[in-house]
Amino acid sequence: MLDREVIMRELTVIDLDASCPDEIFDVMGKRFNELGYVNEKYIPSIKKRESMYPTALPVEPHPIAIPHTKADAIVRPFIAPVRLRSTIAWGDMSDPDNKLDVKLAFMLGFYEPGAHIELLQILMHNFQRADWVNALYAAKTEDEFFDAVIDMEWWHD
Amino acid sequence: MTVKVVVACGSGVATSQTVASKVNRMLKADKIDAEVEAVDLKSVDRHLKDAAAYITIIRDKKEYDLPVIDGIAFLTGAGQQQQYAKLIEAIKNYKAV
Repeated sequence: MLDREVIMRELTVIDLDASCPDEIFDVMGKRFNELGYVNEKYIPSIKKRESMYPTALPVEPHPIAIPHTKADAIVRPFIAPVRLRSTIAWGDMSDPDNKLDVKLAFMLGFYEPGAHIELLQILMHNFQRADWVNALYAAKTEDEFFDAVIDMEWWHD
Repeated sequence: MTVKVVVACGSGVATSQTVASKVNRMLKADKIDAEVEAVDLKSVDRHLKDAAAYITIIRDKKEYDLPVIDGIAFLTGAGQQQQYAKLIEAIKNYKAV
């Protein structure tokens, strides 16, 4: 199952102003909570989790972060595509001391281990496609950005 | 007997599951009798006891007495073939204790 419907238009944001990941978690966490995707544990939980295990992936052409946290903070599964106004330093998942310049984050809210693995693999496949990532960088409105996200190759190798 | 390989990440919900699924598919395509199991970091030591290799998401400074494979390669694609070759080698060399 490709469950592309977990990629939420109402959680899609472009040109978010943030100087560090925690600011993104505050702003987006508030929205997730108001719209019923997470509970009050989410913001402290993801901040703690990211401080221990940051989630920026060193993919080409641009690094992409996939912040996610424990299942008990999630009420409804979601993926929130977020584009920042400018890049911020984000710890490399494999080597937290190494900071990557991140402008794109796919915030993941999953509570069932293994439930969205197909979709995650499809995302990883597309993270490595310069034409898709460049379209995400180029989109001028949130609608364009969301459409560009959904216009991915819906398969993986 | 199916050889066990372990992959671990912080929560065991997303990243390690994704790597496990990808590597399992590669092993199956190559008809190698091994199974990758995704676990969370808290329980990893227990799982490593009877494993042929450890696929890490976060590089740590610890020394392990089994081969360690870079799991990020299977997410980003960079260096994937080398890491996969290293894994195959570890599976072939594994002798069950």
